[in-house]
Amino acid sequence: MEKNYIKPPVEVRYADELEILKQNDKGKKPENWVLSPKAVRTFILGGKVGEHIISRKFYGNDALVERCIITLAGNRGLMLVGEPGTAKTMLSELLSAACCGVSTNTVQGTAGTTEDMIKYSWNYALLLAKGYSRDALVPSPLLVGMEQGIFTRFEEITRTPAEIQDSLISVMSDQILNIPELEKDGLIFAKSGFNIIGTANTRDKGVNEMSGALKRRFNFETVEPVKDVRLEKEIIIKEAQNLAKSNHIDMPVDVDTAELLAVTYHELREGRDSEGTVIDKPNAVMSTAEAVSVYYHALSHAWYYGDGRIDLNVLTETLLGAVCKENKDDLEKLKSYFRTSVKKKSEKVGGLWKDYFNTEKHLR
Amino acid sequence: MERLLQYREASPIIPYNLNDSLILFPIRHHSPVCSYHLIRTIENYKPDIILIEGPENANHLISVITDEQTKLPVAFYYYYKDTKKYISENGGDYKCYYPFQYSSPEYNALMQAKKYGITTKFIDLPYSETLINTAENEGLRKDIDKHSYTDDSRFTKSRFYQKICEKTGLRDFDEFWEKYFEIGGLYISTEKFVHQMNTYCTLTRTDCTDDELRADGTMSREKYMACNIMKVMQEHKKVLAVTGGFHTFGIYNLIQQGDIKSPKIHKISKTDEGCYPMAYSYRAVDALRGYVSGMMYPHFYDSIMKELYIRNSPHEIYNDNIFNLITLTAKESTKRDIQVTISDMTSAYTMMNGLSALRDSMECGISEAFDAVTACFIKGEKTVSSSIPLDILANLATGDGIGQINNTEHIPPLIADFEKQCKSLRLKYQLSAPTTVEASLFTSVRGMELSRFMHRMQFLETDFARLMKGSDIKNNRDRSRVREEWQYRRSPEVDASLIDHTTDGFTIEEACGTFAEKLLKKYQRCETAGGVAVDCFLMGIELKSAEQELIDNIISSDGDFFSIGKGLGYFQTLCELQSLYDFEDKSTMKYLCKCFERLLSMLPAMANVPPENADNVINIMKIMYGIIVSVLDYRMNDFEAELLTIVSSAEKEPAVYGGAMGLLCAISPDYKQSAEDGARGYLTGSTEIQKKGADYLRGLFSTARDIVLVDNSFLEMADKLITDMGFDDFLEILPSLRLAFSNFTPSEIQLVSESVAELHGISENDLMKKSAVDENLFDFGEELDRIICGIIGKEELIYE
Repeated sequence: MEKNYIKPPVEVRYADELEILKQNDKGKKPENWVLSPKAVRTFILGGKVGEHIISRKFYGNDALVERCIITLAGNRGLMLVGEPGTAKTMLSELLSAACCGVSTNTVQGTAGTTEDMIKYSWNYALLLAKGYSRDALVPSPLLVGMEQGIFTRFEEITRTPAEIQDSLISVMSDQILNIPELEKDGLIFAKSGFNIIGTANTRDKGVNEMSGALKRRFNFETVEPVKDVRLEKEIIIKEAQNLAKSNHIDMPVDVDTAELLAVTYHELREGRDSEGTVIDKPNAVMSTAEAVSVYYHALSHAWYYGDGRIDLNVLTETLLGAVCKENKDDLEKLKSYFRTSVKKKSEKVGGLWKDYFNTEKHLR
Repeated sequence: MERLLQYREASPIIPYNLNDSLILFPIRHHSPVCSYHLIRTIENYKPDIILIEGPENANHLISVITDEQTKLPVAFYYYYKDTKKYISENGGDYKCYYPFQYSSPEYNALMQAKKYGITTKFIDLPYSETLINTAENEGLRKDIDKHSYTDDSRFTKSRFYQKICEKTGLRDFDEFWEKYFEIGGLYISTEKFVHQMNTYCTLTRTDCTDDELRADGTMSREKYMACNIMKVMQEHKKVLAVTGGFHTFGIYNLIQQGDIKSPKIHKISKTDEGCYPMAYSYRAVDALRGYVSGMMYPHFYDSIMKELYIRNSPHEIYNDNIFNLITLTAKESTKRDIQVTISDMTSAYTMMNGLSALRDSMECGISEAFDAVTACFIKGEKTVSSSIPLDILANLATGDGIGQINNTEHIPPLIADFEKQCKSLRLKYQLSAPTTVEASLFTSVRGMELSRFMHRMQFLETDFARLMKGSDIKNNRDRSRVREEWQYRRSPEVDASLIDHTTDGFTIEEACGTFAEKLLKKYQRCETAGGVAVDCFLMGIELKSAEQELIDNIISSDGDFFSIGKGLGYFQTLCELQSLYDFEDKSTMKYLCKCFERLLSMLPAMANVPPENADNVINIMKIMYGIIVSVLDYRMNDFEAELLTIVSSAEKEPAVYGGAMGLLCAISPDYKQSAEDGARGYLTGSTEIQKKGADYLRGLFSTARDIVLVDNSFLEMADKLITDMGFDDFLEILPSLRLAFSNFTPSEIQLVSESVAELHGISENDLMKKSAVDENLFDFGEELDRIICGIIGKEELIYE
């Protein structure tokens, strides 16, 4: 079944690991949770269960993951904030799949999200036929979460207008959703295990500030970009391998090119190269997810059009497209990075860096 | 690997047996759990003598630490002056601190010994010998500001703990130490704890080679301590030796070997070496931690220790204290307008307990406190501004308390001199409240002495005295004031900084002289040299020949025009004030001339400086001109020649050009035409060139403002510049024009405005008078105003 999905949900992708953890889990579980908090941590951060190795799925701040788990076991929602491409959504999926076994109970926040989409709406054919009744009710993911005692994921919550976001306040305070149309059957009480995981971008345009009242009902966790270039390289390799596998690209990942890209992204994001030279930071988001995307693009180009080896010219052209999206100054910044840091490395290290520097001609 | 196996086998055999004649007790400095088990060991073992790791030349100060009136934290201050050049050919001064707080095992050992009447002794090499036995840039000879005797960097930097952290998912050494030792250690027997400590510490030693241990003085120290222990064992039946865990294995091995040669002790004069007790602060203890000494958050661990004294069981001590810390953080955050609700507190409580359970920790530690505050008190993205609750938590855990020493037997020489001088100047130095005193500089001897004393205290950066009113000679302000008003306050920080200067001398005057010399050697800039010369002048301290030579060399070698220019300004001030202050120093004139000559040769190169430096160049040129007029008139022609070089340069900064032109006009009125031509050149150019004209005028007016008052030619040019220019361009040059006219005094401005009015055919009276407002119109306006205010008030749009 997995083969047919572009991106299978976490609970499907890691079904084996979840099953192993479930069978070996002796820890105390919050009501309605599939796994204990310790097993959830092992699922996300990796570890050994008996003879089985559980892979690490989230890289970076382990303490943050632990805080997220404890927050979700309590009575507050969890809000993951941070720059785009820092794996907030992935973390929320992992947490939902590990705690509730379901990661797909999701509201996608947009500027057009209405209160109906958050609470409930009606099937008008059934409404006309049967009047206000449970049959005619179309439950939202929030309502499903409350009734089943599972998490509701609210993606990009700050893209939703502030007054729509605030419709969550009463649900999170009282753990009750009132459907007045259903009269005495209209009170829906949240079952144990229900909680909300929100994600929000801090950098994109078009975000709406959350109200203080809503903020008080969440514990906030700021997910930061990966600071360790070695780790970033590992993530690029692992994610590119997964993408290649799911798209039937039977080509080995070039570790050296992945490292080169990881260093480029890391240095441009930090505004300083490995030798301490200050670099102009581009305005574009230099996330690890973007780096994966650039790398995978070069990889698939090599698979379909090339000789099975990543062409650095294609990599640089793709990098140019990824960096210079909105601001024309970013092109100059990228050029300047090549002329200083990449040039220095090409002289010092040579090899791949030299070839990389020679692709600078594409930056225009 | 062999080395690792050797240590692994060795660690369990360091015995901990209450029936033995010797117990080696391993500690980490400032660790409550080590204190906790040490106290139990003393109670159960009842030793005849307790030997403690610490320089033995502080044995006479043990009674100060154990004095009931002493309030921790306090520290021993050690100093050594290498006059005999045992350490290096350059000699040098050295100092370090040995802090004690309530959680320090050494302190608890001393207190328990006092309680049971047990003899105590420090057994380590004297500070001087440790330094002599340490290689350059190693251990206590590393190039850092503050050294701590209780440096445990070996402990916290080992690869062994890094492996443990990776394996257990802990973030750093502190988290590892707290979980497995501070908290976990409270729930195991003393025997097991000592075994655990020995295991960890001996494994940590695997990271160090013998060469490294020799280089940082560890080997010599361990030999000396082992010798001392063996000597004491011949006289006493039960000996307890308390040493840093890192040394225990080394000392144990040496004692097992038996025949050890103690390091040679040099004969050092009493004035070259010493040790004094000083009140210390939690902040200072924490600051030392920056150089990896002892534990973080000293106040928090002291509060844990105090609870351990009171309660019979360690159970829940950490949980209670952590929640208490979080509560205080919430309280403090609320005071700073960061809303923390009861619900946030509840959530934080759940978080800290949940995390400690998830992490398999016996109780919550400081990392759980930080995690709980991060998750529950920070609303929104974690940034520098939203992280204030974390800063508050860190500050509370660090503490801001200051220790106190009431024992007066061991007063450091600088403090004694300070008190002596305060007494003779009738200052209320024992008060901790700020007191104000006035010093009349020229009417009484005491006034001048008082001023000099206060300036000395200020120079030593003691924070004792602050000048509230009086002349600011360094910045050339209010020089006509003949009185100074000082505010002073004695605090433990004042004592601490005075003690810190012990290596500089035993009297305030001597310390100031040495400190001045150090500053000169350190900065090697003419600007600093001039500043130090002014400071010495204000302090009434004559520069010694060595310092004079140093200043002379600095002036010769400094290549920075601006630094020399600043120095010239200082020396000019000194020359002007010497006779008034009755403080003759012939060398000042020599420095002044030397600075002048150097500046003169560099002046032509300043023609095209960046615009931001133009004003500085003009000021320096003005000072030079002032000096020529007053004392160096024979250099007038040379100065004129250099100015001419500037004005004839092809590329020149307009303001510098204007400034030079103005000075040439001051030298000879013949240059006025050239100045006018210069201005005209700018004003008849393109708009971009015209804009530079404003800078030219700024420079010109700053050196020769009277040029405007002689006739109207410059005003006419400025008027043409302004009237011909478009509005946007005018706005661009406005700042420069404003600055140009800021050189005039109010009465000169009046004259200028009259002349400008005349140029436009109007008189001053025309400008001052305006046509009268119609009375009815005025009434109407008032009525309208009243009605609008009424409406706004009714709609509650404004508040009274």
